[in-house]
Amino acid sequence: MNLAMLKPGENGRITKMGAVGPLKRRLMDMGVLIGEKIKVEKIAPLGDPIEVTIKNYNLSVRKKEAEGIEVEVVK
Amino acid sequence: MSTQIIEDRIQSGDNTPQSPLISRGDKRGVTVAVAGNPNSGKSTLINALAGTRLSVGNWPGVTVEKKSAIFEYEGTKIRLVDLPGTYSLSPYTQEEIIAGDYLVNEKPDLVINVVDATNLERNLYLTVQLLELGIPVVIAMNIYDEAVKKGYEIEIKTMEEMLGVRVIPTVATKKTGLDDLLKAVTDITDGTFSHQPKKLNYGADIESAASAVEAQIRNSYPKLTEKYPLRWLAFKLMEKDSHTMEEINIGGTISFVDEKTEHLRKAHGEDIESIMADERYALASGLAHEVLKKPEFRKMEITEKIDKIALNRFLGIPIFLAAMWLVFKLTFDVSKPFADWMNSTASGPFKRWAEVLMSLIKAPDWTASLVTDGVIAGVGSVIVFVPVIFAMMFFITFLEGSGYMARAAFVMDRAMHAIGLHGKSFIPMLLGFGCNVPAVYATRTLENPKDKALTALLIPLMSCGARLPVYVVFIGAFFSAHAGTVLWSLYVMGIVLAVAMGLIFKKTLFRGEAPVFIMELPPYRMPSFKSLMIHTWEKGKHFLVKAGTYILAVSILVWFLLNLPWGVEQKRDSYLGKTGQIIAPVLEPLGFGSWEAASSLISGLIAKEIVVGTMGEIYVTKAEEEKKERPSFREDLRDVVVSFGTAAKAAALNVFSTPGISSLSAEEDEKRAGLKGEIQKAFTPLSAYAFIVFILLYMPCVVVAIAMSRSSARGNGSGSPLHTK
Repeated sequence: MNLAMLKPGENGRITKMGAVGPLKRRLMDMGVLIGEKIKVEKIAPLGDPIEVTIKNYNLSVRKKEAEGIEVEVVK
Repeated sequence: MSTQIIEDRIQSGDNTPQSPLISRGDKRGVTVAVAGNPNSGKSTLINALAGTRLSVGNWPGVTVEKKSAIFEYEGTKIRLVDLPGTYSLSPYTQEEIIAGDYLVNEKPDLVINVVDATNLERNLYLTVQLLELGIPVVIAMNIYDEAVKKGYEIEIKTMEEMLGVRVIPTVATKKTGLDDLLKAVTDITDGTFSHQPKKLNYGADIESAASAVEAQIRNSYPKLTEKYPLRWLAFKLMEKDSHTMEEINIGGTISFVDEKTEHLRKAHGEDIESIMADERYALASGLAHEVLKKPEFRKMEITEKIDKIALNRFLGIPIFLAAMWLVFKLTFDVSKPFADWMNSTASGPFKRWAEVLMSLIKAPDWTASLVTDGVIAGVGSVIVFVPVIFAMMFFITFLEGSGYMARAAFVMDRAMHAIGLHGKSFIPMLLGFGCNVPAVYATRTLENPKDKALTALLIPLMSCGARLPVYVVFIGAFFSAHAGTVLWSLYVMGIVLAVAMGLIFKKTLFRGEAPVFIMELPPYRMPSFKSLMIHTWEKGKHFLVKAGTYILAVSILVWFLLNLPWGVEQKRDSYLGKTGQIIAPVLEPLGFGSWEAASSLISGLIAKEIVVGTMGEIYVTKAEEEKKERPSFREDLRDVVVSFGTAAKAAALNVFSTPGISSLSAEEDEKRAGLKGEIQKAFTPLSAYAFIVFILLYMPCVVVAIAMSRSSARGNGSGSPLHTK
């Protein structure tokens, strides 16, 4: 299960980060860390990117980046 | 993280109290860097602190804006340097490298860290990194009012004790807390407050590795300890920070770091960089949990409410398009009457006054012509852009400051990404239809150098308003029956070519990975009017000074081309005409290989609308001399004032007028009617269409070219390595 598969309104917990190097560091700098709770808020009108809430703020990432973030669904 | 752990982690530091940097009244003054996250209100804080003393330039070699100011606070001279807004001090984005390099190499005396009180955790992540540098830090707990309004309780005292640094609540938009902030700064610099930052504990594993690396650096590279803060350097080497490794240039000899960190990697099974980032966030989260109490029930916030509509699946795009239409209309319609006024003032009264002045000082003919037709006309061609640049900067700053720019990028990203662009590229491209110059300037809103360069390269394909008069003349002469369709075909052709070129560039010049899209959607906020004005003014001034000087130089060059050798009777014999004759054969295959067409095209390099004027002069040889009576100085002056009033009124009316973009209407005068007849003789419908297509595509005017070289094209090659795989 990855972040791009969550539907708007669904919560997840990050279990694994597929990205490496600069992209991974960038995501981590933005608070996308293993164990962190993440919620998908919206999908852009054209289907990409998505908006998520993490660490109490809103972040948008493209689905391609989201696919590399493994999550488990949290009720 | 529990209270116990965070308290264990923040030990009382081994840092000895710092001696005062300078005594009060010392002429040397102190250098204070301002660091903070984007959207933390850093910019507003700087504006509020520095006011009109702010000066804006660029960081050397890049297009990232650098703001600085020098002022006195109670006898202490403070040099304020604004660092680019960053989330971190990683070595991967231009902004982060600039901020990091400045802090490490320029060694400011103190750092003001602007922290968004409504978003403590993520902001403190940067604070943790700043504290690694060992530079005294004062935290400006900004946007404090909003945090209070949300029901947040932030224990400032606890935070000060835990970090050992001063924390000052501020509301930059309302100018609250600024005095306290400056006092905290000077208290540290003159030694009134003994600055003893606590040493943050990164956990046993990292700390033991760091100590070992520190010891090794001290032994093997004592020189480095003079230049860099030791703990910071140890961390950077452990992280294998590419930029730092390059800077210190000890290359492959740092294998000792691998030895010392081997157990770390084994224990955590991850790269050290990630372990460090994790630890830093753990510290930031621990701190935030410790000092921040949030209300149990969270109200739905205004940002959420707006976004429910503004980013709605169905309404998102229509709302975005409506917003863009409004920005476009306001930018061009409000500025147009003022631009016209400036233009007519420069070419009318100003020119006449200059002529009078020239005859008074008995200047030779050629000097008089150089001044009136070269310099004044050149200045005129610069200042006609001023209203549109200022208007556009105003609205762009508003879009950015309010938070909507990020939403616009969110809505449009998919479409723009398809041709290798970023969601934020859409707005500059759209503005290009009005005028390419402000559009190129608007690419500054893009962070990534690659995005910036590619967007700027495609903007000239957006058919600007200045090309319209040329289309109108030719369409009027040849295609009056299908005027709308022909005009439409030109605009569409530009767009189609932009898409095609985007795809080609993506595969060639900008090959490789597209820049990533990881963007904060900041809360909506009303930008302060003062901040808006300062930004608008600074960016406008930048255009006036930088572009102005070049445009003036080129205008004078063209004057020489047109008027030399001195005393030429026929345009054909001027250097411009001669150059036209040389170029003409090249244009032959396109169907308009005459020196007249070629010369007109050359003049269009200054500004596309000049083409019509030049054609008028070249083709209509027997144009009747205007024999109007010369208005008196007083009439002229009155005219300038009255017409300004009319322009202001027209601008105000344009705001409320119905659709129709007024700047796209081109009126026809008698001279043009004469021109129409002449070009009907000189062109066939096919060559006429070829000519206007050529006008659309051949080369951006010199102002755009200058804007591109000034603001975008630089630094395209060595973009940041932050790309998706």
